[in-house]
Amino acid sequence: MVIKMEEFEPKIVGFLCNWCSYAGADLAGTSRIQYPPNVRIIKVMCSGSVDSVYVMRALLEGADGVFIGGCHPGDCHYLDGNYKARRRSVLLKSILDTIGLEKERIWIRWVSASEGQRFADTMKEMTEAIKKLGPSPIAKHWNI
Amino acid sequence: MTDKILKIKNGDTVGSVNDLLKELLKSKKVQALLVMQEVPSKAMSFPVLISDPDKLNSNVFAPVLPVATASVISKITKVGSASKLIGVVMRSCQIRALLELVKLNQANIENIVIIGVDCLGTFPVNTYSNFPEKATPTEFILDSFKKKNDAVKYLRSSCYTCKDPVPTNADVVIGLYGMGSQKELLIQINTEKGKQLLEGFSLEELKDKKNREKAIKEIREEKTKNRMEFIKDKSNIKGIEALAKFFDKCVNCHNCMKVCPICYCKECLFESSVFNLEANKYIGKAEKKGLFKMPNDSLLFHTTRMNHMVVSCVGCGLCEQACPSDIPLMEIITPIGENVQKEFKYVPGSDIEEKVPLVIYKEDEYQEIGEK
Repeated sequence: MVIKMEEFEPKIVGFLCNWCSYAGADLAGTSRIQYPPNVRIIKVMCSGSVDSVYVMRALLEGADGVFIGGCHPGDCHYLDGNYKARRRSVLLKSILDTIGLEKERIWIRWVSASEGQRFADTMKEMTEAIKKLGPSPIAKHWNI
Repeated sequence: MTDKILKIKNGDTVGSVNDLLKELLKSKKVQALLVMQEVPSKAMSFPVLISDPDKLNSNVFAPVLPVATASVISKITKVGSASKLIGVVMRSCQIRALLELVKLNQANIENIVIIGVDCLGTFPVNTYSNFPEKATPTEFILDSFKKKNDAVKYLRSSCYTCKDPVPTNADVVIGLYGMGSQKELLIQINTEKGKQLLEGFSLEELKDKKNREKAIKEIREEKTKNRMEFIKDKSNIKGIEALAKFFDKCVNCHNCMKVCPICYCKECLFESSVFNLEANKYIGKAEKKGLFKMPNDSLLFHTTRMNHMVVSCVGCGLCEQACPSDIPLMEIITPIGENVQKEFKYVPGSDIEEKVPLVIYKEDEYQEIGEK
């Protein structure tokens, strides 16, 4: 008998903006679109309000990936929060190297309130990508 | 831009500059001066705000940076700017930091006239106060400039790898580099403010500017070379094991944050009770891995500091100097800073009109990051 190895299920922390991405995730739910349950969603008012400390904390506490969801460019409820979030993710990614994590562990994507399917697809895509990367090496480290 | 000469009297470089500054106070060109002055015990030099010319006994070349002068100016001007002119004498790294603070709305330089001093580098606070040589630290560094000895062994690593020891963006520059026999100093007037400051002073014109230009080019090249070698040498801190080891000695005192001129939040998340959990949560965390180091937020603190500071890091190295555990912080901050600033094509403290990268954006940039 072949013993099946338990498949690695990544833990993803998702910061979704109140106006677009969170509503998009809501629509995916109410439309009963299936997507992997790996993402733990935290609602924020704007993707631009996601300070680096939230992302760093999620990663240091052992999250395998962090997803930041914002409105499409030009659609931000606060005009330019998503553009600023994008710049901050550039900064975050350039520091990940020092921490020993792959840049691909942080995702920033635009999902509108009407794009339930797109949210589900993005979650599938991200879960697959993180599965390929494997578990975060930080999760195993004893003193974090 | 006008280049003038200040004659050094009796070989007393420090005193000659002091005399000039005294005249500024006496003639009421400035209401007060913020300048490095030795404390009575001579064990340390601090930025001192001086209004009485008779109390002025400055040492602008004191090779020590106990606190960030830029933070001091932020403190002086943030609540309300001065109604009359204040002269501030600063090194190049602190001018860069001050410009960053102005951009971040943490300082006001409306009624500030910046007098920059060519920097020969600084020693750690303890080396300065217990100086192992016969000469005073100031004499030693000035002698070292005349190639009579070598001060490099005492320099802080951030000074050895300085981004630019020559002040840019100062209204007036007191210059050492390229002034030949050290019988005279350069007084360079860069702005209208600087011109008004020195109006009525009889200073000779500097005729041959080539030496100065050549010397500046040389020192900048030398420092850049040092920095690149330092980065190449030290960029090996990669991965969680190496990072955790690097910060093993951290005692969570947050000194590095408190001395940083760029770090300005009134209320810091890491000084708040956000990370105080109820006992059961701590036990839960321990149970997850079987053990749990306390206090638990030091790596989060340092990685967050990296995120918050490196874009504007001017390389003053005060964080490293303030560390009671002697963690060589610049070994990690310098490579990351260089990397991130290159990414945003941003040189902190170089242009007051240029906005800090994280508050601006372009609609069509980094599209590969937001979209696949």
